[in-house]
Amino acid sequence: MSYAWFLRISAMRKALALILVFALSCFLLLPLFTLLIWAFADQWTFPSLLPQQVGLRWWQWVFHNGDLGNAIKLSFEFAPIVTIASAAICLPAAYAFSRFRFPLRRPLFVSLLAINAFPKIGLYISVAALFYRLNLMDTFLGVVLVQLINTLVSMTWIPTAAFNSIAPELEEAAHDVGARGWRVFWRITFPLALPGIIVASILAFLASLDEAQGTLVVGTPSHITMPVIMYTLVSNYPQPVGAVFSILLSLPSLVLLISARRFLTAGYLAAGFRVK
Amino acid sequence: MQVVAPVPSRSWRHALTGLLLVSPPFLLMLFLIVAPTVQAILYSTGQVPTDNIVFQSDIDLVSSATPTLVVYQRLLSSPYVQADLAMTFQVTIASVVLVLVVGYILALYVRFSTGLLPSIVRVLYLIPMFIPVVIASYGLIEFFVANGFLQTILAQFGIQNMPSPIYTPWGIVLGQVWTGIPFAVLLLGSGLDGVPQELIEAAQDVGASFGRILWRIVTPQVVTPLLIVGTFTFIGVLGSYTVPYLIGPNAPQMLGVAMTAYNGSYQRPQPAVAMAVLTFLIATVAGAIYVWGTSRTERTAA
Repeated sequence: MSYAWFLRISAMRKALALILVFALSCFLLLPLFTLLIWAFADQWTFPSLLPQQVGLRWWQWVFHNGDLGNAIKLSFEFAPIVTIASAAICLPAAYAFSRFRFPLRRPLFVSLLAINAFPKIGLYISVAALFYRLNLMDTFLGVVLVQLINTLVSMTWIPTAAFNSIAPELEEAAHDVGARGWRVFWRITFPLALPGIIVASILAFLASLDEAQGTLVVGTPSHITMPVIMYTLVSNYPQPVGAVFSILLSLPSLVLLISARRFLTAGYLAAGFRVK
Repeated sequence: MQVVAPVPSRSWRHALTGLLLVSPPFLLMLFLIVAPTVQAILYSTGQVPTDNIVFQSDIDLVSSATPTLVVYQRLLSSPYVQADLAMTFQVTIASVVLVLVVGYILALYVRFSTGLLPSIVRVLYLIPMFIPVVIASYGLIEFFVANGFLQTILAQFGIQNMPSPIYTPWGIVLGQVWTGIPFAVLLLGSGLDGVPQELIEAAQDVGASFGRILWRIVTPQVVTPLLIVGTFTFIGVLGSYTVPYLIGPNAPQMLGVAMTAYNGSYQRPQPAVAMAVLTFLIATVAGAIYVWGTSRTERTAA
């Protein structure tokens, strides 16, 4: 037992760990569980542990509300566009960071992190001030640009790590049997780096889908996406409306996570954060 | 990695291609980070561009030929903004401390224990990463609010009239901890992975206690990740809007909520931008402490 110094097995410690893990799961899961109950509650008043009346009334209400429908549509227009734009901008850079030697390579790579070193809402307010001058406020392009901010780091760092993990010998071997530049890239390098690229794309897609602050500042009043409309739902509507909408907004994350779970190892997620 | 050809002209072309390929994200950074920051500094110091109606529309517009700090003086002398600033600092520091403590405990637990329980925690702590902050905030409100689900559960056991943290500064801290856990545990965990097992075993062999090993062997090895998590959580909380807007009190507000209100509903872009620049300055100080801290630990390590 190599970790015995940390956990000298004793019933007391096991019980303590169990209690702490239980408290942690309550803290992390019960708020989400609360929304799940609210989404199916037609009537639920304190101090009843469960709703007095259960039903799908609010689901119908949400699906028949035009504003909410528009927000859903708009969100699913932005997310793929932002993901593709981000990939087009960052993937060649990731490949270059991994495979080319050029001046300032290391400083440039690290300086991307500066994006995360900005207090975000301050940055969005400043971006809005610039967008006023460029007439980009409340435009589709303006919202795409502001959502791109949150994808640049992970879309560059994770694929760079993926390209780095491919042994150059594999590419050299392909060269030796006569394959040339693009062919080597598409047949060898790209497929091997694909898991990393998929993880980065999923994160970019979710970053766009879940982005609320920048879109609120730059896209109001006519580019209201799902998370932005949540601000209104939370404060101005009965609880079930916000709860139903929360589930609708979480579904894409859930589906993407489950379908891509074999790529989403903690190792890859941490790779985007690791500062070497 | 790539074998660079010995011919100089070829490596020169190689370097140029490399620079060309990496330029798009940096051009975008120039446009979306550098340009807005420079313009925000100019606008908030009275250098108002004449080509824009929105900039001119500020009721109390300060416009001057030479840079002036009048906008900042007005802001900082307002008792409302002073209260906002004070609460911003309190919430931010409390959040950073709690995220560090909870994150470090979880990272240690996940790294140094084996069995079913830690593998559950390994999945649990990642969950907030995939929940939009708006939804997390809403869930926390409905769970912790007065007469919410938590009080409902407690009422079954006869516990009543517990104060609710929602719509108070502590509610904001709660939200920041909830959303900040994945980043903290991931980063601290990857730092702990780098602590050599031999070092711990050697310490055990000479009979060092758990606390002593933790404090003298493990923690010094993860000072840099701790500093990174501290700094980025600080900047993240400082620049947050959703959590304080939804969970926080109406007054005083955190700076992020206040500046958004100035920019939007109050139609006062100039003080809004000045507040943004203030948060940049505070973040710069935090960043400087981080750089100072990491260079110091590197020197003591050497």
